[in-house]
Amino acid sequence: MNAAGPRAVRAKRVEPIRAARLSWLFFRLGVMNEMQYRVNFFIQLLQSLLALGTGLAVLALVFSHTKTLKGWTPNELLAVMGVHLLMGGLIRTTIQPNMTRLIEDVRQGTLDYALTKPEDSQLMVSVRDIRIWQGVDIVVGAAVLGVAIARIQAGVGVWDALGFAVALLLGGVMIYCFWMILTIGAFWVIRMDQIVELFEGVYQAGRWPVTVYPLWLRTALTFLVPIAFAVTVPAEGVTSRLNGGTLLAAFGLAVALFAVTRWFWQFGLRRYSGASA
Amino acid sequence: MSAELRTAAGPSAEAPVPEEGRFRSMASMYLTLFKTSIVVGFQYRVANLLYMIGMIAEPVIYLVVWSTIARSQGGSVGGFTPGEFAAYYIVWTLVRQFNIVFTPYGWEWRIREGQLSGQLLKPVHPIHYDIADIAGWKFVVIVLWLPIAAVLTLIFHPTLNPTVLQVAVFAVAIWGAYLIRTMNLWLLGMVTFWTTRVAALFELYFVMELLLSGRLVPLSLMPHWVQVLACFLPFKWTFGFPIEALVADLPAGELLGGLAMQALWIAIGAGLVWIMWRRAVRRYTAVNN
Amino acid sequence: MLPESVIHVDGLRKTFVVPEREAGLRAAIRALFRRKTRPVRAVDGISFDISPGEVVGFLGPNGAGKTTTLKMLSGLLFPTEGDVRVLGHVPSRREKAFLRRITLVMGNRNQLQWDIPAVDSFELNRAIYRIPRRDFEEIRDEVVELLEVQDLLHKPVRNLSLGERMKMEIVGALLHRPQVLFLDEPTIGLDVTMQKRIRSFIGTYNRRHGATVLLTSHYMADVLALCKRVIVIHHGRILFDGALAALSSQFAAYKTIGVTLQDGQADLSAYGEVLRRDGETFTIRVAKADASGVTARLLAEHQVIDLTIEDPPIEDVIELVFAQEATDGDGEPIGEPTA
Repeated sequence: MNAAGPRAVRAKRVEPIRAARLSWLFFRLGVMNEMQYRVNFFIQLLQSLLALGTGLAVLALVFSHTKTLKGWTPNELLAVMGVHLLMGGLIRTTIQPNMTRLIEDVRQGTLDYALTKPEDSQLMVSVRDIRIWQGVDIVVGAAVLGVAIARIQAGVGVWDALGFAVALLLGGVMIYCFWMILTIGAFWVIRMDQIVELFEGVYQAGRWPVTVYPLWLRTALTFLVPIAFAVTVPAEGVTSRLNGGTLLAAFGLAVALFAVTRWFWQFGLRRYSGASA
Repeated sequence: MSAELRTAAGPSAEAPVPEEGRFRSMASMYLTLFKTSIVVGFQYRVANLLYMIGMIAEPVIYLVVWSTIARSQGGSVGGFTPGEFAAYYIVWTLVRQFNIVFTPYGWEWRIREGQLSGQLLKPVHPIHYDIADIAGWKFVVIVLWLPIAAVLTLIFHPTLNPTVLQVAVFAVAIWGAYLIRTMNLWLLGMVTFWTTRVAALFELYFVMELLLSGRLVPLSLMPHWVQVLACFLPFKWTFGFPIEALVADLPAGELLGGLAMQALWIAIGAGLVWIMWRRAVRRYTAVNN
Repeated sequence: MLPESVIHVDGLRKTFVVPEREAGLRAAIRALFRRKTRPVRAVDGISFDISPGEVVGFLGPNGAGKTTTLKMLSGLLFPTEGDVRVLGHVPSRREKAFLRRITLVMGNRNQLQWDIPAVDSFELNRAIYRIPRRDFEEIRDEVVELLEVQDLLHKPVRNLSLGERMKMEIVGALLHRPQVLFLDEPTIGLDVTMQKRIRSFIGTYNRRHGATVLLTSHYMADVLALCKRVIVIHHGRILFDGALAALSSQFAAYKTIGVTLQDGQADLSAYGEVLRRDGETFTIRVAKADASGVTARLLAEHQVIDLTIEDPPIEDVIELVFAQEATDGDGEPIGEPTA
């Protein structure tokens, strides 16, 4: 471990271009690596299609009993499903693999390998892993979203599309921060096996727009686990419901969360280095 | 106590140990496995509790969505009010736990790790081990479930007034569900003896089960053709029937008829397991090395 | 079949079909449509009879066919060809009466439950093997005492050391007083003291109860301590079946002379193959017939302080046996398939 201490580990300047190049490098490596596991692709495809089929069946079922759900029409709910699948795919491709690997590293004590590289440690542990086959969900989700947009009577304007893209990005950042904060907790509470299942369970709530839920649940899904920002808000963008206020709040929250996450990471690192020394 | 003294079929230096009666020993085996499983289950109570809590997200989401629909439709949909949906999905959480049996994906591990060889050396069918060991765990589950159910009741205000008969049938039905599912998933898992490319088959099975068992929604909300189809498949009897026995105010005839159907499906499952297991062992002892 | 045989094996063969994997993209594509396989003969025609109460050692390197044979004897594998009888039963039929009279103990394989004390796992075995309570307690207490594990009975198995766990496995395996014991590498991975204890236990158990023991091992010490008879198996065939003492006389036509000289610089290569040299002590290998001649010359031509003439150590003999077999092989691939 670095003799100069945790300070030396922390103080590397992150240049955006460098960060982007590093991410791209890991992406390519990851893809090449995953190409070996071709069979995963077919299993993943099957699972995605089955999930899609089930989702469509549920939608059909719901709308056999009612015309709208808290103001959302069938096509709009289809769009929500599309965003849910899309975001789920993004999370499972990029965020979750890195987080589970980080937890394993903390548990086995192998985190040092990542920390002694000459790149920013948080960046390293966040982008080094990728599960490309989960990307099937991204494609399926995008397809569903496309179909839904085509069917929405009111059409989707340029501002809506922009709002959607921005909201998606912000939502992704917030989910990343959420996961990161939770995972850093592994520095203190080593046993965190159930985390992925717990998250997947809660993420299912994003299948429906949070306005459908009672207030207490809506609050939890906004501020406790930012599912609302990951799925509902982008969906609102696509369905022309988004107002500037929400987007601004999302932006503010994302920035704040990111700052907190960064600080927490440094804090956790100090604790980790202290512990292993 | 009946001790049968058997003479050795071959030469030996001393007389073999006498044997105890078959039923008595089987009962002993089940009781011992219950006991050890309960002890271990409580040892890991925190992990078990977290696991169960993680599983309530699914029914809570269903519950909230359908309650919303019910309210928008003037108070009820498919014969269920929000309070009745709450009852359905809270009881759901217990039935879901009772549905958990040895995963068919676990057979590959069992075969590969040699655990199966150890079981094949014993003069007892390995399914007894699975049934008894996992059943013991269910007792722990019931205890851990009570606080979860209490919290959910406080939040969602279920309407539930079961009669004594309904409670009794429910208590039997959850075990019936457990046995049906044990048999079915054993059959599914045994496919692993012939091929390891089983993921597609398993996933298809689970999706069918999700849609046709009453796990997704109460079956009465499904279109009519689905309800008819569900009556001919075992899935309904593992999930929807036990829940409805407690919450749906079924008449005695249907309650007892449902138990009879469970018994039928257990018999079918057990019969198929009996036939297929011989083939599976034959296959295993031919190629295992 | 000899009427007194507990284990009878005649012309036993086991052939596995193993997929052939070639390198390269074209081969991989072809493999999608048509899988090429080749037969592997793990056991290639072996025959032997074992009488009640014998302790027989099964020796052979990895892949020789030992474990495959043991699995066929215990019913876990059924033979491609040949006749197997254990206690009058055909093992692959896995009759309950048969399973109740045998036991298979595999080193580094756990059959006890992990999280609970061993004594509870024993209860389970009691129920599985249908042992009446009084007999069960008597047997259990006897074996526990012999292995000196009374204090460990109530500790969860996961808290025991490797050696202690192995002892518990053995107790669990003997609760039903089996008449035939198959022991597959029972002392593997254990420290020397533990190995000695388990060896002495097996010997005592065999003498007390007359159980027949078939033991496979890598460790010569196991075999030397316990087995009067060894079966040497290699490439699926039996190379030797008989008394341990006869092994060297049949296969090793040489002797080892250890001589300590006054003059440490002497060159003794003219007398025979010099194996080792420790200071003034030399170890020379000579043909059996030449032993006395060489000894006489040594005594005459050098100042000898000490001289010994020995049969070669068993380990060396075994190695010679295997080396011989390897060069004798015909074209057919034989041996156990490796993962």
